[in-house]
Amino acid sequence: MAKTVFIKDTAITGKDRTRDFYGLFLGVLREKGLDTTIQLVRLADMGIYSAGIAVRVLPDNHLYTQVGESDIAGIVESIKTGQPYQPRLTKQASTQMRIVLRNCGVIDPEKIEDYIAHDGYHALARCLTELTPEQVIQEMKTSGLRGRGGAGFPTGMKWEFTRKSAGDQRYIICNGDEGDPGAYMDRSVLEGDPHSVIEGMAIGGYAIGASKGFFYIRAEYPLAIERIEKAIKQCHDNGLLGSNILGSQFSFDVEIRLGAGAFVCGEETALLASIEGKRGYPSPRPPFPSVKGLWGKPTCINNVETLANIPVILFKGGEWFSKIGTETSKGTKVFAVTGKVKRSGLVEVPMGTTIEDIVYGISGGAMSGKSVKAIQTGGPSGGVIPKDYFQTRVDYESLQKMGSIMGSGGMIVMDEDDCMIDIAKFYLGFCVDESCGKCAPCRIGGTQMLRLLEKISEGRGVPKDLEQLAMISRAMQKASLCGLGQTAPNPVLSTLNYYRAEYDAHVNDKKCPACKCSKLLSFLIRQDKCVKCGMCFKACPVGAISGNREKGYVIDQEKCIRCGQCFEVCKPAAVLRQ
Amino acid sequence: MAKLTKNDLHSLKAKYAASEKNWIKVGFSTCGIAAGAQKVYDVLCDEARKNNAEIEIKKCGCVGMCSAEPLVEVNVKGLPRVFYGKVDRETAIEIMEKHVCGNLLVNDRIYDVKVN
Ligand SMILES: Cc1cc2nc3c(=O)[nH]c(=O)nc-3n(C[C@H](O)[C@H](O)[C@H](O)COP(=O)(O)O)c2cc1C
Repeated sequence: MAKTVFIKDTAITGKDRTRDFYGLFLGVLREKGLDTTIQLVRLADMGIYSAGIAVRVLPDNHLYTQVGESDIAGIVESIKTGQPYQPRLTKQASTQMRIVLRNCGVIDPEKIEDYIAHDGYHALARCLTELTPEQVIQEMKTSGLRGRGGAGFPTGMKWEFTRKSAGDQRYIICNGDEGDPGAYMDRSVLEGDPHSVIEGMAIGGYAIGASKGFFYIRAEYPLAIERIEKAIKQCHDNGLLGSNILGSQFSFDVEIRLGAGAFVCGEETALLASIEGKRGYPSPRPPFPSVKGLWGKPTCINNVETLANIPVILFKGGEWFSKIGTETSKGTKVFAVTGKVKRSGLVEVPMGTTIEDIVYGISGGAMSGKSVKAIQTGGPSGGVIPKDYFQTRVDYESLQKMGSIMGSGGMIVMDEDDCMIDIAKFYLGFCVDESCGKCAPCRIGGTQMLRLLEKISEGRGVPKDLEQLAMISRAMQKASLCGLGQTAPNPVLSTLNYYRAEYDAHVNDKKCPACKCSKLLSFLIRQDKCVKCGMCFKACPVGAISGNREKGYVIDQEKCIRCGQCFEVCKPAAVLRQ
Repeated sequence: MAKLTKNDLHSLKAKYAASEKNWIKVGFSTCGIAAGAQKVYDVLCDEARKNNAEIEIKKCGCVGMCSAEPLVEVNVKGLPRVFYGKVDRETAIEIMEKHVCGNLLVNDRIYDVKVN
């Protein structure tokens, strides 16, 4: 392979120097007569950040960072010899690891041949021909896999409980409801690798003794549904679902049920009610679904990502899987990194990776010019983790200790412009909207808390409100019927814990330090700084700015809706926000 | 198709894994489609025909770089495997003319490089 040299300025601030450096590098190559044999390419993104100018040489796979002009000659020399140029050589620790997403973006999700060519259905074949259901369960227990739907319950144990429950019929259900705002890992797996989830379900069905499985997918995921439908049909055509799968004694089939988009229907007991055609109300546990589930029969409910892990575990062995991750949390976790982050998208890392590696290393940190303030994991059931704690290694226990949860994998990055009261209000508002209303603590408690937060963010809060918030939180945690109400106060409690000063500023000083809560803000044009360009005048959506290019501009406080548009567009920073 | 057995799986795997052809993959999950993957795919197919290019153009799921969709992965023998991001009509044409037919990678459009 001919040599290729990739160049990118990875600095986040300042002018992009990629082009200038490219010119210099090309000059040296020309000088040495190498410009026709070595291909020089400018990248749009290199996947590393804040490392100055970075140069990667392929196929040698040498990576150099903080490269200066004086290094060019040395690097060019090293390309000729194939020996690395030591002064700027950087080891790139590859932090991503793909188990769940192994086929996403690799295979054509609508072609079963492609899946089979990537070891698809080999694990199912191994189970059906070489292992008893008990041995499959044992393998799962060895692997240490825990549920990825949020609670983190060991999958092998769940399977064992379901298998041991008496019943003439058992069911396995794939939970594809994925209601967390900002999370879309499951959608991506269903869309990008539908067969892996079907294979995981079939293996689960074999292990627990179920002949029937259900996909519960939210109706807002039309493409995921379409791809699963196609995949199921392909399985029928090829004898991978139906009777006597792969010529064995095992018969198993799956059907799809659509969720109508209620967050609570992701909760397992509400999900069961929904599949049965009833209103999606949760019910008290015990009895657990593994004992009394769908239509009263033993039922195992697993998350999409959990199921996508199964074929790999049974193909490579539980032992192999258990070597990845931390003491208590094995394998990898997929995160949907979104929000104020440079490179949003899906990230799969081994358990135990630091938050810092995920947010800065892989996702590139904040958008230009801002700094990251915190992340939110676990969606409306989770909490915030401030930047000071980004050395934390993600696993189920460590996140819980921080007052958040692993959740299903949403990771929302917030920057200095985000107000923590506003964030808490958003999540609580979500839970109030989504509360099914069956139990009083969630229905009434949530609404009361939301009112208090609104009061605080509008500058009408009093110190007692904060105590009240904590008190109602405790009541909801203790007395709510299902996980929705029990965890709904988490965002409030965690922001209160880490950002008490911000709450105090709202309550005592009637100020929003992040300048987000519009009722506590005012905008003013500083005449000494104003250049009379008229940008604010054009930007104002409600005509609250009057004046002209001679006299300058003023904001009518009565008309102003405090949207901040004038502040954003003002080049000389003459709009004062306070 | 006939019902598969365990042995069929192995032979199918061998059969499909063997292809040596150059290929392009376009991300066709919700994120890619929303960003315009279908148009990019159509342009690539058109351009391949126009240029008589020996290349297989395939669809795939989301690799995870959702912010850079539409994403196009290109594998041409003798060149590194790369991901072009935020691909529009012009870039798609460039990919076909320069990269696939001319063995030259396109500047300023690559968002990731497959190493190893
Ligand atoms: C309000 C609420 C919403 C939930 N939503 C989901 C969901 O969207 N997807 C999911 O897999 N699990 C969800 N769960 C967790 C499920 O109840 C259940 O624990 C999970 O599906 C079990 O699968 P696992 O063991 O593979 O994690 C939710 C729980 C609660 C309390």
